[in-house]
Amino acid sequence: MNDTLTMLYSFFVEKLPYVTIVVFLIGVILRLHRWLVAQEGPRGPRFNLFAALKYIILDVVFFRKTFNTDKVTWLTVFLFHIGAGGILFGHMRGFKIWSAEMFSPLGYWLAEFMVHTLPVYMGWMFLATQVVLLLRRGVLERKKLQSMSNDYAALVLLLITSILGQGMRVFPPKAIPPETYSVVFIPRLIVLHLEKVPSHHWFFLHVLFTQLLVMYIPFSKLIHVISGILTSAIYGSRRRDYGI
Amino acid sequence: MASEINRTKAREVLRKFTKPQVMELDTCAHCALCTDKCPAYAESQEPNHAPGVRSTKAVRLYNKQFDLRARFLGPRPVTEEEVADLADSAFHCTLCGRCMETCPFGFQTHELWSRVREIVHDLGGSLPNVVMLEEMLKESQNPYGLDSDMRLDWADYTDLEEVPEKDEAEIAYFVGCTTAFKGVNHEVAFSTASILNQLGEDWTLLGEDEWCCGSPLLMAGDEHGAREYAEHNVKALESRGVRKVITGCAGCFRVFKWEYPKLLGREPNFEVSHSVEFLRDKLASGELKPKPLNRKVTYHDPCELSRLGGVIEAPREALKYIVGNFTELPEHGMNVYCCGGGGLLQAANNDLRLAIVKRRLDQVKKLGAEILTSACPACKLAFVDGARALEMDIEVLDLLELAARQLGLI
Repeated sequence: MNDTLTMLYSFFVEKLPYVTIVVFLIGVILRLHRWLVAQEGPRGPRFNLFAALKYIILDVVFFRKTFNTDKVTWLTVFLFHIGAGGILFGHMRGFKIWSAEMFSPLGYWLAEFMVHTLPVYMGWMFLATQVVLLLRRGVLERKKLQSMSNDYAALVLLLITSILGQGMRVFPPKAIPPETYSVVFIPRLIVLHLEKVPSHHWFFLHVLFTQLLVMYIPFSKLIHVISGILTSAIYGSRRRDYGI
Repeated sequence: MASEINRTKAREVLRKFTKPQVMELDTCAHCALCTDKCPAYAESQEPNHAPGVRSTKAVRLYNKQFDLRARFLGPRPVTEEEVADLADSAFHCTLCGRCMETCPFGFQTHELWSRVREIVHDLGGSLPNVVMLEEMLKESQNPYGLDSDMRLDWADYTDLEEVPEKDEAEIAYFVGCTTAFKGVNHEVAFSTASILNQLGEDWTLLGEDEWCCGSPLLMAGDEHGAREYAEHNVKALESRGVRKVITGCAGCFRVFKWEYPKLLGREPNFEVSHSVEFLRDKLASGELKPKPLNRKVTYHDPCELSRLGGVIEAPREALKYIVGNFTELPEHGMNVYCCGGGGLLQAANNDLRLAIVKRRLDQVKKLGAEILTSACPACKLAFVDGARALEMDIEVLDLLELAARQLGLI
């Protein structure tokens, strides 16, 4: 690596992750504090684990209500979340949470497809669904909905991060060294093992925007990843309470 | 120039959003799926009436007092104009809870919008007609501003012979204001009373001691007033040793069953049943044997009884004993399309209420039903008004009226 790359590596990989973690944790604490200091209110529905799980699966995993309301939006949202989940899962291999050998029993071609081909399509699908969701929001704006700036900020940040991630696949470096490449974000805790050295520009920008996105999660509507599960659990418990 | 509301007051009032409600406001993705199913928006096409837009406006006001910027740089002013805008959104809603059934996150929207109304009310931004209704309620303990001694006029008009007003009874029939004071519903009260008499039940009315259940006060955003009414009614019922309260009004039922425990902080010492549940039980046990009816009948689920009250199967089970040709409306049960009669929409915008009921009546018309039944006096009132406006030939009956007719009681 030349000096510029060393400097970029030092900042984006070795220093920024600490800032990201701190900002993320502060954000989570502030968000929880905002919810916890709000008024207690009357007793809500009695929590029922079975009903909560039922509606978390139906509504959070399968988007039942979206399906019943608007099939096109359901398809977009469903594929978007499949894409998000698939990409997160794919990244876990780099962090050695799972290994490509897991797919070996499927046979060489299928394993190859799962590990190397599917993620590319998943990336395009993820990007496409984000664009559709962004366009949908724009078209419906001030007619059927009124977004807040953070609705757009979250989508745009996610879109940029995904474009940069996909960019690494589309624009690989001219010479790819065969050896495994390790990126040590936080020693012994967050270490990314890459099979191939990616294009450095795309990679550093992707790393930067990913960290900006992680920092932004607790301050944005992306918090629904957590709170949406809680609200669905309350909804399920309510239905059980009401006998419906 | 925008006039600012006292900052301390604004902060104190906006603090009324509860923990789950703040979480809901923060979670709302403003996806507009609720907009597509909202009856008020469907008819008005006014963005401010969309539930998601209401959520945006509510959280913006909340954030002015409680977001990070407010924490570090101080709260920002809340203006009367902003509150009026939120009030316009909050009261152009039937509180039917359909948005809850559409929301991907399952927000308790009925509670959320009621809270928004309470905040608007406490910030002095209620609509003039709603304020008037609230004043009438406080003066006469009913939303129609009529004297309490007129509560039993329905018995005179219908020539009911036995109208018990006992000091002690097993069952109390809580008539409800819209049944007692609206002529179109007098037969509903008469039917219920006749069925109770035929069964030889030990029952009573509260007469002038019956106050409004408090539902309109909750809808107007006056929780304090509603609590006072709840305390009065529960005291009147418990002092008579009542074990079971029957009401034919979906709004009274919901408030008695689900809101009174919250308002009072305890469960009242009596069971609460809607008259259709009581009817279903008596039909199933064979104590009532109606003559089967062979006309095409359909049933409209009152939102406050079904989606918001938890009673969906009972009316259908009861109808099996009465009707030979029952047909479901297209949007029913949890997905019922509101009749427009709820949420004080009549006070806020009666034209919108009629537009909503017309859509529902169109569905009834397409179905070719001869009789439209329901189990709520506000729904019956809306359907009768709508049918009149549409010059539509449809018989609108409460399920208890239909049962009493087939039992030969009316």
